[in-house]
Amino acid sequence: MPLSEALRLALQAIWTSKLRSFFTLLGILVSVAFLIVVVAIIQGMNSYVSGTLTASMIGINTFQVRRGPISVGLLDDEQVRMIAKRPLVTVEDAETVAEAVPEAIAVALQSGWPTPVAEIRFRDRTMINVTVFGITAPYQAVQDYTYLAGSPLTDQDVNGRRPVVALGHEIADKLFDNPLSAVGRRVRLDGRELTVKGVIAPKGRLLGQSFDSFVLLPFSTFEAAYGRRKTTVVSVKMPTADAIEAGMSRAEEAMRVAHRLRPGEENDFTVDKADAFVAFWKQLTSMLFTAIPAVVAIGVVVGGIVIMNIMLMTVNERTREIGLRKSLGATRADIRRQFLVEALVLTAAGGALGVLSGWALAFGVSTFTPLPARITLWSVALALAVGTGAGTLFGVYPASRASRLDPIAALRVE
Amino acid sequence: MSALIRIRDLGREYRMGDERILALRGVTLDIHRNEYLAIMGPSGSGKSTMMNLLGCLDTPTAGEYWLNGEEVSRLTDDALARVRNREIGFVFQTFNLLPRATSLHNVELPLVYAGVRGRERRERAAAALDQVGLGHRMDHRPSELSGGQRQRVAIARALVNQPSILLADEPTGNLDSVTSDEIMRVFTQLHAGGQTVIMVTHEPDIAARTERVVVLRDGQVESDRVNRGAAA
Ligand SMILES: Nc1ncnc2c1ncn2[C@@H]1O[C@H](COP(=O)(O)OP(=O)(O)O)[C@@H](O)[C@H]1O
Ligand SMILES: [Mg+2]
Repeated sequence: MPLSEALRLALQAIWTSKLRSFFTLLGILVSVAFLIVVVAIIQGMNSYVSGTLTASMIGINTFQVRRGPISVGLLDDEQVRMIAKRPLVTVEDAETVAEAVPEAIAVALQSGWPTPVAEIRFRDRTMINVTVFGITAPYQAVQDYTYLAGSPLTDQDVNGRRPVVALGHEIADKLFDNPLSAVGRRVRLDGRELTVKGVIAPKGRLLGQSFDSFVLLPFSTFEAAYGRRKTTVVSVKMPTADAIEAGMSRAEEAMRVAHRLRPGEENDFTVDKADAFVAFWKQLTSMLFTAIPAVVAIGVVVGGIVIMNIMLMTVNERTREIGLRKSLGATRADIRRQFLVEALVLTAAGGALGVLSGWALAFGVSTFTPLPARITLWSVALALAVGTGAGTLFGVYPASRASRLDPIAALRVE
Repeated sequence: MSALIRIRDLGREYRMGDERILALRGVTLDIHRNEYLAIMGPSGSGKSTMMNLLGCLDTPTAGEYWLNGEEVSRLTDDALARVRNREIGFVFQTFNLLPRATSLHNVELPLVYAGVRGRERRERAAAALDQVGLGHRMDHRPSELSGGQRQRVAIARALVNQPSILLADEPTGNLDSVTSDEIMRVFTQLHAGGQTVIMVTHEPDIAARTERVVVLRDGQVESDRVNRGAAA
């Protein structure tokens, strides 16, 4: 029997019992859709983390000198206690680093954890949950901020502890009818009166987190209001990515000298770059990536067993038909092919529907939730291969059972 | 001319647990091309067992079966399938049509397994349906046909691959006498056209229309005689 004939028969059989066919392939469908969606979400997060998030959190081509490492989530209690004993990072540290890395585009100091959350008011409008950063002027270069209106904070603002503030776009947008009109207005930040110096161009929002819902204060003004933070950070923006390593080692050396560390003594600070954050994320997702195949495998095996059972049931129901076909000259291979193709078409359909629903789900996730999702071709290919493989694997037994039926006995069955 | 079918000491034993049933015990028979033969005998005498062996649906536990000069008693499952496809046309008492398929498709089935494709297959199936007078019922499903029409579809299916022998196990067993008569006329016509026909029946007036009657009893040939009355 030619393959086209087997295919025609398979489609006919599947179509004849649509509902049963659908439930048969549900297991494969769900597993495949799951695989597609989860991989899409992880891939989406990956590109988000290594691209946008890193850039906006740390800055492009930037390394940091900090009290503790960036990837705090991976530290154990012992390490956390060690870090707590370290000295705070200071203005002097920033100067040390700037001297050691003269080729840096910008060396900035910024307030870190715990970041104060404030209330800001302009006339009758109030915004709460506004993130407040204290910065030195170069921070704006580190972050590649551009100003929509007004001007950036300056060294004079920092040195003179001036009562000025730069507004993230969302803040300006909500407090003022026209955000551009904010410049020169007086706002109240937790009750302190400040003059708006500039409005920063928006950076967008991802993961439901706006990157524009913050205000910048001159570092001195910030510390006068909120005190010193536990993790003040020195950010160093280098001209190129290649320059980062050399800059980091010179910064480390200079810091050791400044902190009078003896040879062999451990650093009482951390020099880290964005990679550390990306690495932390990669470690997290690699755990997910090891868990997914197991979950999918279980789903596919269960789906496969369902298919095997339904196919055995089908073979049972169609015993007479099989007997008849054999009596008319069908060989074992003919019968085997007929039922194998049927199982294959079922699982392939399950896989295809799974890909479609996975696709739709991933699209829905990225549209209606803050999670980004990105479909990758390899996950689609893998899902289809796994689904179809399961169909073949679990279709073989029922098909070969059918092919070995004795025609006379089969024809006698009612 | 050598016999189309040559059977020597053919035996078929069934085992059911410890019990052994000898359904056929040493049947020897020659059947020639274009014979019209009826197999008779009481229920349980081994007629169906005999037909299944002749139709290569089953293999004997003793003896030899030569079909068209080839010994088919020791062939494998798949080789037997090919012999059934090329040499045998089987008509069953219960028609055995695929319920969801049209007459045309039912008749096409043996050609599917013979590797005949597309248009040639449809044309040959249509011609076979014409031959049994059902050219106008090609697109009907079995449920839309009368018993006699169903059996004619089954006969067309048995004929379509031009087999050496047409085997029919009680082909009129499920039909009323008028329809039986109609079906018997089809067989007689086919025989007149050169077809070898072997048929099981326990109705004497059906057997009377054939040219030779073999009577089985307890798995053995009780009598084997030429049927003078039907020669005309
Ligand atoms: N598959 C089988 N298993 C066991 N015994 C069988 C089987 N087929 C037939 N027989 C026995 O073989 C004998 C002959 O049966 P069968 O050829 O069907 O007779 P008939 O067609 O003449 O009525 C009977 O005794 C029957 O019970
Ligand atoms: Mg019988």
